[in-house]
Amino acid sequence: MYVIKNGTIHTGTGEVLENYDILIEGEKIKKIEKNICEADAEIIDATGKQVFPGFIDPHSSIGATGIPTRYRDNAETTNVINPDLSVKYAIDPDEVNAQEFYKSGITSVGFSPDHSNVIGGQITVCKTAPDHMANRIVKEHAAMKGSVCSTVKDVYGASNQMPKTRMGIFHLLKEAIRKDDLLKKYQMPFVIAAETAGEIQCLMELLKDEDIQLTIVDGFEFGDAIEELKEKKVGIIFGNFSNLSQISKHEIDLSRLKELVENGNRIAFTNTCKGASEGREVFIWSAIEVYRAGIDAEDVVKMMTIQPAEMLGVADQIGSIEVGKDADITIYSDHPVKSYAAHVQFCMINGKVVLS
Amino acid sequence: MQTLIKNGILYTMTEDKGIFQGDILVEGTKIKEVAEHISEDCLEDGDNLIEAEGYYVLPGLIDAHSHIGLFDFNVDPCVDDANEMTNPVTLSVDARFGTNPKAREFKVAYEHGITTMLLTPGSGNVFCGLPFALKTYGNNVFDMTIKSPCAVKIALGGNPKNTYGDMKRLPMTRMGIAKVLDDTFAKAKKYAEDKEQGKEVEYDPDMEALGMALRGEIPCKIHCTQYDMLTAIEIAKKYHVHFSLEHAWGATDYLDEIAESGCDVCYGPIATYRSPGERRKLDVEAVKMLDDRGVNVAMITDSPILSEESLYHHVGEAVREGLAQERAVRTVTINAAKVLGVEDRLGSLEEGKDADIIVMKGKLGLDTDAMVYYTMIEGKIVYQK
Repeated sequence: MYVIKNGTIHTGTGEVLENYDILIEGEKIKKIEKNICEADAEIIDATGKQVFPGFIDPHSSIGATGIPTRYRDNAETTNVINPDLSVKYAIDPDEVNAQEFYKSGITSVGFSPDHSNVIGGQITVCKTAPDHMANRIVKEHAAMKGSVCSTVKDVYGASNQMPKTRMGIFHLLKEAIRKDDLLKKYQMPFVIAAETAGEIQCLMELLKDEDIQLTIVDGFEFGDAIEELKEKKVGIIFGNFSNLSQISKHEIDLSRLKELVENGNRIAFTNTCKGASEGREVFIWSAIEVYRAGIDAEDVVKMMTIQPAEMLGVADQIGSIEVGKDADITIYSDHPVKSYAAHVQFCMINGKVVLS
Repeated sequence: MQTLIKNGILYTMTEDKGIFQGDILVEGTKIKEVAEHISEDCLEDGDNLIEAEGYYVLPGLIDAHSHIGLFDFNVDPCVDDANEMTNPVTLSVDARFGTNPKAREFKVAYEHGITTMLLTPGSGNVFCGLPFALKTYGNNVFDMTIKSPCAVKIALGGNPKNTYGDMKRLPMTRMGIAKVLDDTFAKAKKYAEDKEQGKEVEYDPDMEALGMALRGEIPCKIHCTQYDMLTAIEIAKKYHVHFSLEHAWGATDYLDEIAESGCDVCYGPIATYRSPGERRKLDVEAVKMLDDRGVNVAMITDSPILSEESLYHHVGEAVREGLAQERAVRTVTINAAKVLGVEDRLGSLEEGKDADIIVMKGKLGLDTDAMVYYTMIEGKIVYQK
């Protein structure tokens, strides 16, 4: 049993509670009140510190690639439509551990098939603490990963297989929906990679009458499809803004993001771009770029916590500091969205201390 | 023409003046005066006055390791004019001739206050070519250049060994790289000795260029990570050349060797994933540990591998790992100027230095929303928010 005392608690849902205590019992948050007294509890003093729910990267390749093998374990490029593949079987605990995600406050990751198939397989949500895999998994069949990016054309077109064009990509996606009843058969959120305005607009057109929870990944040219994105309340998981080699071909206008935030679209960040992942630092850098573009810091915190949890259908377990949720909690010296001096002083995952 | 910048918090980057609130007078292309108070009476019609109360005034930032204009990822297929991977030793190819001055990233750079960059050939060869330093504003690389060559660029590790291993040529291994290094330095030494003794030698542009390093006129800029840095240090010591370790991931394992060698370190880029091999240890905390030991450290982006503006994040990550903010700013100003060998004209706010000056709101490396309001290069305001 632990009591995190007297911290400034950013709940993840937009609220900031000053000088509150959090009682943790077992793996869960039991109580959030002022002046909690529990004789048996170990006290973690958070006076003057910033307390956050564990951050969530909803779409990561790293941890599931099987480095340094020749074939990446999250890219089954023998077939364009793979709804039954589960990335769970590709997750290498050592590869995850090596990233030390929790040192950047990231306590859960949505491990994902990469961008090279129209339907690449299912996303599995895991905790980042070194632990038995059984204890780490939050949800195995969390969401369906798709891609309408040029990566698909590059993979299949090279060997003269469909899709060699964007027409081919959308034909295959449309047929999977019509013939295989993809959306009905797999009742889960869909997370589809789309970078350019053309890709995003085509996707919106194809899915405009479908009743699904849709999130797009990378999404750099969201500005050119903003009305469609607003109407369907489509989420965006932004790829790595700092990876210029990946994104330089795309127009990014973050000044328009405010419209989506006000409209209630969910936003999140990933260390992955075009299906390839970089280090955990990227997550916080992307959050900073959005803050620099004029989004309120607490709105940015939601994008790092509750919104990715909602995208993957795991907000009942993680993504905020609320009673009954998993005790995934990070204590920062400062607000990491506002100050580079902010560093993680304490991190707990599933009620266990992983960094102190 | 003159410009007077009034009442800003000046990050002079000098030992004696440090940080203070004051004024800077610019005349023509140079800084004329830095003082607590400079009277506006010195201004004449047509001169500029910038009121900088509440703003921070810094020397223009310097990225000591970039490939902007040499790599172009904005076109399909991408352009690589950085790696002349036809021979492990292409040491006298000149990066100026590979650089596109119209690369859009130069504009991104000066709009973020980065006024000088070292542009270097890539790391596909053991001896890669000759880097140079340029100002980021202009139309013609040769006009923008302030020093060429700045160094001899050398690369160890996976890049050269994969390049030539795939061709079944030496070097396929780290052993092979060490041999190419040693043989080439030995050849250059002999070439120089023969010339000195008046022997007739056939002109060799590679040996001429490496001779500059052997004579101490320019350093070797050595791409290496992890245990490769020991190879770099050993070879550099054997031939008594000045050098910098570039990228230097894993430097925390070799702090004593680095400090003892007297080399500079250009650390970065950070934010890559961790995996076995060269990426096994990414230790940005090394920046503070090296700075504490008196090593001259610069933070680098390797742009366009990472974006030029990620220089802010790089400085910030050093601060996150405990480096004092003022020290962190040094890694992209005076320290970087020393790496480039241009500390006599850049890197600090001092009389007589180039008027490359930026005015920022927020503290670089501390406030995540720190932004540039003015960028001045050689006395000319090239960007204003």
